[in-house]
Amino acid sequence: MWAIGGRIAGSVAVLLVVSIVLFVLVHTIPVSPARVVLGIDASEADIAEFDRDHGLDRPLWEQYLKWIGGVVRGDFGKSIIDDTAISRQIADTFPVTFELVLLAFLFALVVAIPLGVLSALHEGRAIDHLARIISVVGVSIPGFWLGLILIAWGGVKLGWFPAGGYVPWRAGAFEHLRSLALPAIALGLYYVAIISRMTRSSVADVLLADHVRVSRAMGIPQRRIMIYVLKNAMAPVVTVAAMSFGYMFGWALIIEQVFNIAGMSRALLSAIFRRDYLMIENVVLVITAVFLAANLVADLLYHWLDPRLSK
Amino acid sequence: MKALWRRPEALLGLVLVLSAVLTALLAPWIAPYDPLAVDLARKLMSPSAEHWMGTDQTGRDIFSRIVWGARPSLTVGILAVTIGALGGIAIGLTAGYARGLWEQISMRAMDGLAAIPMLIWAIAVVGIVGVGPVTIGSWSLPNESKVILLVGLLYIPPLARVTYGGALAESRADYVSARRMQGAGRMAIMFGDVLPNCLSPVIVQATLLVAVGIVVEASLSFVGLGVEPPNPSWGGMLSDARKYIFSGEWWTYVFPGLAISLSVIGFNLLGDALREILDPRRAAGISVVA
Repeated sequence: MWAIGGRIAGSVAVLLVVSIVLFVLVHTIPVSPARVVLGIDASEADIAEFDRDHGLDRPLWEQYLKWIGGVVRGDFGKSIIDDTAISRQIADTFPVTFELVLLAFLFALVVAIPLGVLSALHEGRAIDHLARIISVVGVSIPGFWLGLILIAWGGVKLGWFPAGGYVPWRAGAFEHLRSLALPAIALGLYYVAIISRMTRSSVADVLLADHVRVSRAMGIPQRRIMIYVLKNAMAPVVTVAAMSFGYMFGWALIIEQVFNIAGMSRALLSAIFRRDYLMIENVVLVITAVFLAANLVADLLYHWLDPRLSK
Repeated sequence: MKALWRRPEALLGLVLVLSAVLTALLAPWIAPYDPLAVDLARKLMSPSAEHWMGTDQTGRDIFSRIVWGARPSLTVGILAVTIGALGGIAIGLTAGYARGLWEQISMRAMDGLAAIPMLIWAIAVVGIVGVGPVTIGSWSLPNESKVILLVGLLYIPPLARVTYGGALAESRADYVSARRMQGAGRMAIMFGDVLPNCLSPVIVQATLLVAVGIVVEASLSFVGLGVEPPNPSWGGMLSDARKYIFSGEWWTYVFPGLAISLSVIGFNLLGDALREILDPRRAAGISVVA
């Protein structure tokens, strides 16, 4: 129990440090937000007034506390560029990205785990070679290029899928999932490769263990043995899968750009090109928090599935 | 080296890596055309004897742009890994050998740094600092140098961890105590004895991280935060080619993507092969998730 509490506290501490680094980075850039909004011609007096209105004249630590205090309560403040609530923007775009990542994650698990298990059981056979090829090619094809190829093939040539864009749930579940199928595959293939490879090596390790040989010698049916093997082999797989979930958020932003999906990438990249620094700060904080949470879950699951390590 | 020759995959990896590196080094002699030369009369021409990979929307030779585009990709991949390896080896080696307070502090710091998702931070840092060359005095570095610095920094934790693991095990070995009794200095033992014996997993990891760096550079250039146009980059070329998916000019987006994939496959195959040769105990598992 204490160990779990300690890990959670550790993640929160890292997140706090990250928020400070992010804040300092954003607030020490040479271009002031007032200049971005008011333009090059604005007088010093106008700038001072703008800074006063937006609390930018306060000491940095005070601004930081105000920001982080709001974030804890779910209030990310207002965009300096157009005064819209940042919480609103994040609430609009986060679910889209989250769903894309979730679908890609499910796709990766559903393909990778059977592939990894089968290739470990049939070492050196056709399925093993196939899995090996997928694991090398899968980690080497950049998702955004795969996305372009999938659009050209499945969207334009065959016309089975929309060539981009996001169809919301209320337009029908089928159309909705169809619009996310290609992006989910483009995002997930890398993780099919990573997770299937991990599954294969982990299952192969357990198959060589003494208890498996003893079980075989005792004449326990293969089916029963396999249940034990899979249970023992899953700890590293689950860990890698949970970590992958966190990493997927970063790459999802690029995939969204390819498929023209209005997720967090739109919030982040439009903020970058409009120099809406507060928006950038908050989006990055949210994604880092998700990443940390995924790593924490990976860590906790690993210790839960393999209690030997806790000692 | 001999072990490399016996494995077809390893050989393929080595060939792909060497071709990518040589292409980047010899770009001016390989590229048949100026990668920036616009020729609107010859725009979007399909591959021919004259233009092996066709031309793009402003009539620039795609093959020449791919050849020159190898430079930023490999520069980012290799320099970032160099930064990560220098930092990671220094921290991992001293933490694993000297132990004590420094070990605690440095390894906790590595945990913290590892908690930063690379791609999103690369996007954010370039976004906050702004796209444009970095000028230091009379020196002008391209926009990608920001990416190199950040990715290099984030490569320190994984490389520090593998070095640390090796250094921890090696510094307990009998030969190290023997060296100590011979009166060898700390530095001499660390760099002369311990380091060479825990370098194998670092080399493997570093090779695989070059591949990740190439993809990060391409992704950033794709969203307009990496190499600045009109300078050629694989990711930038794919970004230009997006609208031609619908009109069928396949050469604009197939060749740059192949260039990325083949060089990344090269580094991945080479890394895997090096692991099987240098570090057979951990041959099958994976170490790089990004």
